[in-house]
Amino acid sequence: MSQDNAIASLAGKYLTFALADEEYGVPVLKVREIIKVMDITAVPKMPPHVRGVINLRGKVIPVVDLRTKFDLPSVEFTDQTCIIVVEVEMQGRKVMLGAIVDCVLEVLNITAEEIDPRPDFGERLDTGYMLGVAKVRGRVEILLDLDRVLADGSLITKAA
Amino acid sequence: MSQTPDTAESEVTRDVEALGTDAELANMFVAEALDHLSTIEATLLKLEETPDDRELLNDVFRPFHTVKGNAGALGVMTVQALAHKVESLLDRCRSGQHVLGPAEVDLILRSVDLLSAMINDLAARVAGQPGRILRDERIALIAEVEGLLSGTTGTTGTAGMAGAVEAPRAEERRATGDRRLEERRADAQTSIKVDTRKLDGLIDCVGELVILQSLVYEDPALLRVADERLTRNLAQLRRITTDLQRSAMAMRMVPIRQTFQKMARLVRDLSKSTGKQVELQMSGEDTELDRKVVEDINDPLMHMVRNSIDHGIESAEKRAAAGKTETGRLALRAFHQGGNIVIEVADDGAGLNTAAILRKAQSQGLVEPGATIDPAEIHHLIFAPGFSTADQVTEISGRGVGMDVVRRNIEALRGRIDIETAQGSGTTFAIRLPLTLAILEGLLVRAGGERFVIPTFSVRESLRPAASQIHTVRGVPRLIQVREELLPLVQMSDVLGVAAPDVSATEGTVVVLEDGNRRVALVVEALIGKQEVVVKSLGDAMAGIEGVAGGAILGDGRIGLILDAHGIVRAGGAQGTARAAA
Repeated sequence: MSQDNAIASLAGKYLTFALADEEYGVPVLKVREIIKVMDITAVPKMPPHVRGVINLRGKVIPVVDLRTKFDLPSVEFTDQTCIIVVEVEMQGRKVMLGAIVDCVLEVLNITAEEIDPRPDFGERLDTGYMLGVAKVRGRVEILLDLDRVLADGSLITKAA
Repeated sequence: MSQTPDTAESEVTRDVEALGTDAELANMFVAEALDHLSTIEATLLKLEETPDDRELLNDVFRPFHTVKGNAGALGVMTVQALAHKVESLLDRCRSGQHVLGPAEVDLILRSVDLLSAMINDLAARVAGQPGRILRDERIALIAEVEGLLSGTTGTTGTAGMAGAVEAPRAEERRATGDRRLEERRADAQTSIKVDTRKLDGLIDCVGELVILQSLVYEDPALLRVADERLTRNLAQLRRITTDLQRSAMAMRMVPIRQTFQKMARLVRDLSKSTGKQVELQMSGEDTELDRKVVEDINDPLMHMVRNSIDHGIESAEKRAAAGKTETGRLALRAFHQGGNIVIEVADDGAGLNTAAILRKAQSQGLVEPGATIDPAEIHHLIFAPGFSTADQVTEISGRGVGMDVVRRNIEALRGRIDIETAQGSGTTFAIRLPLTLAILEGLLVRAGGERFVIPTFSVRESLRPAASQIHTVRGVPRLIQVREELLPLVQMSDVLGVAAPDVSATEGTVVVLEDGNRRVALVVEALIGKQEVVVKSLGDAMAGIEGVAGGAILGDGRIGLILDAHGIVRAGGAQGTARAAA
């Protein structure tokens, strides 16, 4: 019963994007904007998936490479590569971050019927970052829990 | 009067509800009440010196009356009750029925503290945060006031004397009172209260405008257009934008007066608790600094004032024995100097004991025995972490503040502290801070294929060394000789983990960075130039990277990391600098 409720609460609009051959979706309400990938200034002593920072109209925001985060091989940026600027919750505070994706697909309205609970691969794969899996028009979208993916603490370095 | 006695919870809940009905009204009440309480405190300290000053007494009564009235009007009854009680005491003093003595002043000061605490507590609760229960303190204080009023305690008997002294100077005091009233009215007309969030929003916007204007002005496409009118308009646009930026920055500036006044209260309390006679002199209270700096400088200043009184200024007997005036002097000075603001805390006490500091540092292993260190460096050792002992730490709102925290706070503001001391005559701490934190003058350098900004404030010099100046240690270039000093040679890869290959010091450029008294030589590929950049925080996600102080938006809109001299010196340098043999 409660699993059905959990699934029902996942229904809604998602922005979908591609990483390698996989498709992912994030809740549209968390997306602030989408920009073409731009010059990223590297910041030292950051975990490997943190590419650096960019200047978004006067605000400095960190940028994360999702391919690296998901252990996918890195590729050169193409003219499809985008940065999705999202707002996540990190240690109780709202933080803006950018995530590099291969290309942005579309906004899908995903219903509860189309969503399956996240699969259990046992210990082989940590699926804590998935909200669930959706099957829409023959395609599989992995629904991401952005707060878990991006704000899992690896971004925060301890003060020296 | 309600029939059933309120519980602590129910009365607070009622007040929070009353305050929470209209957010804007609540904010105004809180801000104004705290403002009034601050004025009351300052006036009370003056009144303590001249207790028969009728005008000052009125100046204390009036704001109390206002706070009581406002609280009552909004339905914040806990605040109203206490304010009302103290107001009646002041009223009796005003009409000559009660003498304002030291017990009364002390009580009113404590009520100011409690009222501030209560108002802040209510504001926090309205914002959804947990609060404290201050009911017992309030009831106790009200009982004390009643005790004084009924004559069972307090100052009596000198009423006659006070009356006699007053008569001849009444005219003069009324004149000063009137004049002060005029000044205050004039002041009130020329300032308004603005929500700081709106102000910050405006300033952020102006900051972005400046950057965008710069991008347009330097746009290569526009530079190719040779139109006289366009050039003129662009120049005009640039001028107006610069003016706008200066105005926006100026709006963040507040006078240091309130901070100094907090110190006045601290000095009074410390003087009483240590039994030492201390006279506080303040100058430059009108000096303005950035609002954030004022907030951050409060704790360091408090600790330094306490330090001066605890350890600097001697007891009256010791001073008399040394031929000094029995009353010690503590001076707080603020002034602008060369693009910085300088705040001095100066005492005419015992001065720093250089030998004792050196001994302590050696015993803690901070200094190698037998190393030559000049006195200035020895004095700076008091800022070393761990140097302050527990009994030298000040408790400020539950946080331990020692000299190392003071130094760190000041460095976080891109400032530094200099010490001037003479054994027997006293010590002066001079804090130097930049006027604004939002803009930084930096040296732009290229290293590892990226551009970095080094605050010119931390740069001592830059040079292209000759091979003869470089010395190796076990085959690796590690030291550079600059005049008589041997400095550690630091590569960007050492400090930042920058992956680019090391640049040979003779092929690149060496920048000598300075942090306090320590210096290191950083090797970079090339100097690009000097530039004023807008400083942006990298955000919480990236705070705490040693060697990086933030991000700067460069002229072309891209970001250059700002290097932190303190971090680099610590990571790459050795303790102190070794002097090469002559």
